[in-house]
Amino acid sequence: MKTDLGRKDSVFTFSIRKGAALLAASGAAGLLLLTLPFFSLITATSWSRFHLAPGDLAAVEVSVIYTAVALIFIVFIGTPTAYWMARHRFHGKWLIELLLLLPLLTPPLAMGLLLATLYGPYGWVGAPLQHLGLLLTNSAPAFILAQFYGAAPYFIIAARTAFEGIPMELEQVSLTLGKNRWQTFLHVTLPLARLGLATGLALAWVRALGEFGIVLVIAYFPQGIPVKLWVNLQDIGLGAVYPLLWLFFLIAMPFPLLLGVLSRRGRLAA
Amino acid sequence: MRIEYHIEHPIRLDIDLEVEGFTALLGLSGEGKTTLLKSIAGLIQAKKGTPFDGLPPEQRPVGYLPQGYALFPHLDVRRNVAFGLDKTSSDHQASADFWLERVGMRDHASAMPHELSGGQQQRVAVARALARRPRLLLLDEPTSALDIVTRDELLERLIELIDALGIPALAVTHDPHLAAISDHMAILSRGHIVQQGTPSEVFLSPSSLTAARLLGYRNVLPGAVKTCAGYECVFETGNLTLLGQCAQPFDPNQPAAAVIRPEDIEVSPDLFRGENSWFAHVHKVRTEGTGMRLFLDHPAPLEIRLPLESAATLKDAVSRGIYVHVPPQRVRLLAGEHDHSMPG
Repeated sequence: MKTDLGRKDSVFTFSIRKGAALLAASGAAGLLLLTLPFFSLITATSWSRFHLAPGDLAAVEVSVIYTAVALIFIVFIGTPTAYWMARHRFHGKWLIELLLLLPLLTPPLAMGLLLATLYGPYGWVGAPLQHLGLLLTNSAPAFILAQFYGAAPYFIIAARTAFEGIPMELEQVSLTLGKNRWQTFLHVTLPLARLGLATGLALAWVRALGEFGIVLVIAYFPQGIPVKLWVNLQDIGLGAVYPLLWLFFLIAMPFPLLLGVLSRRGRLAA
Repeated sequence: MRIEYHIEHPIRLDIDLEVEGFTALLGLSGEGKTTLLKSIAGLIQAKKGTPFDGLPPEQRPVGYLPQGYALFPHLDVRRNVAFGLDKTSSDHQASADFWLERVGMRDHASAMPHELSGGQQQRVAVARALARRPRLLLLDEPTSALDIVTRDELLERLIELIDALGIPALAVTHDPHLAAISDHMAILSRGHIVQQGTPSEVFLSPSSLTAARLLGYRNVLPGAVKTCAGYECVFETGNLTLLGQCAQPFDPNQPAAAVIRPEDIEVSPDLFRGENSWFAHVHKVRTEGTGMRLFLDHPAPLEIRLPLESAATLKDAVSRGIYVHVPPQRVRLLAGEHDHSMPG
């Protein structure tokens, strides 16, 4: 009987080990598949003739400055929207949620066409704004507008999840301790949501910086990194895009990676 | 302090309650106890209510301790306590330390909330609420997250502290033990205060079946009062006739219920002399840590709780049958209320 049980035990242990090995192999395969294109960039880059194409640095400047401006708009408009969605219950909320998701679900090119229709020189918003001197096609504001539509939904979704994760009782106790709603938001809600907000910000940063589809339609000029990559590819060839691509990763990645490290170390966690 | 609150949403409540010292409001889950506290704190809008009517929550002089205590997880103990204090005042840190000293948590001032036990968290939450010198302290189920030893010790210290400070406190609970040690207690049922008074008054004379159930009267025998002589009445339930006491005289044959605590019933292998005695077979026995529960079926369904030492002497008699005796002053007769939630 004991021997039989022992055999059963060893068969069970073996099957657990086998399952764990299979899982590890699947994980490694998935990781390799996802990171392979990035490794190929190392081998494809001609390091001896590594140089930027004319206009690449200007594209970097356009992307960094306008993305930073777009992020300011995203934070100031997205944070109250996310908080409102997280904390308020009302009839038809599902419809508002659906409307907020629409820009995220719409293919970027289609979104660009919709923006061109609305904000273009003949659009019902674009035409009067153009009369006031605000041109929303092929201009710096158009570029920022395209980045806003491309990245804001990511920030709003992450921020909303972060706000929903904070127990309402903490905010209620803060009120009973003499803090008004704004002070409560500042001293309780924001510090507790900081990890989620930072994640949303990092996502928005990467999405805005890499936005191509919407930008292509309504803000081909001024050229940011993604459009310049496309132009280099068309005009010079594949080899000419690698230096700018390296620069793109160098600018886009540190922020999300830093957040990842900080959150793992618990410095951002509440 | 008199609390008069009328609330329409999320549950209808019409409350008129006296808070004296440490007051416990006893009620079943879902009766609206938390809603009442939140309304007094200004977190839920009441239709009308005194005191503090119309004031926003940040201007109400109340200290509120929700269930789970809601310590701010991103602040250490000292900063939690100092949270409600005026930061521009130079001594707000010293004030926080003073209150931590009062609750015996001064040594944990630099700890984070997740490093504390449930009891320690409660003490910090009390210090935080008291640091603002509230006119009323509100406690939501203060014993629900504590083990029995911590509960008793903490409650004793909390009541002492509240009495010393002279701040009235209202604790809502479904724990009769908490109500028993309070200075004043009330029972909430179906949106109203159905009874209030000192714990001894309320525990000895529950005014309704709901109150009796909340106070631990597990035996509820439906029947009718046959005759009354003053506050002493003869009550019949099935084949059993009992002598009991009532708060108000009954009419002959008026439907009523007799309520009896399991620990108020005496049992013996030998015949009892006097009223309210009978022989019964034990249907089921359940041994507990500090005693034993006996369940009888006939002539009336009864639950009896015996201390362990009496249970040992009755061991053999239990299988043969026992004599039961309920002192008439321990049988409370209440008007027949159609309370479908009542067992038995």
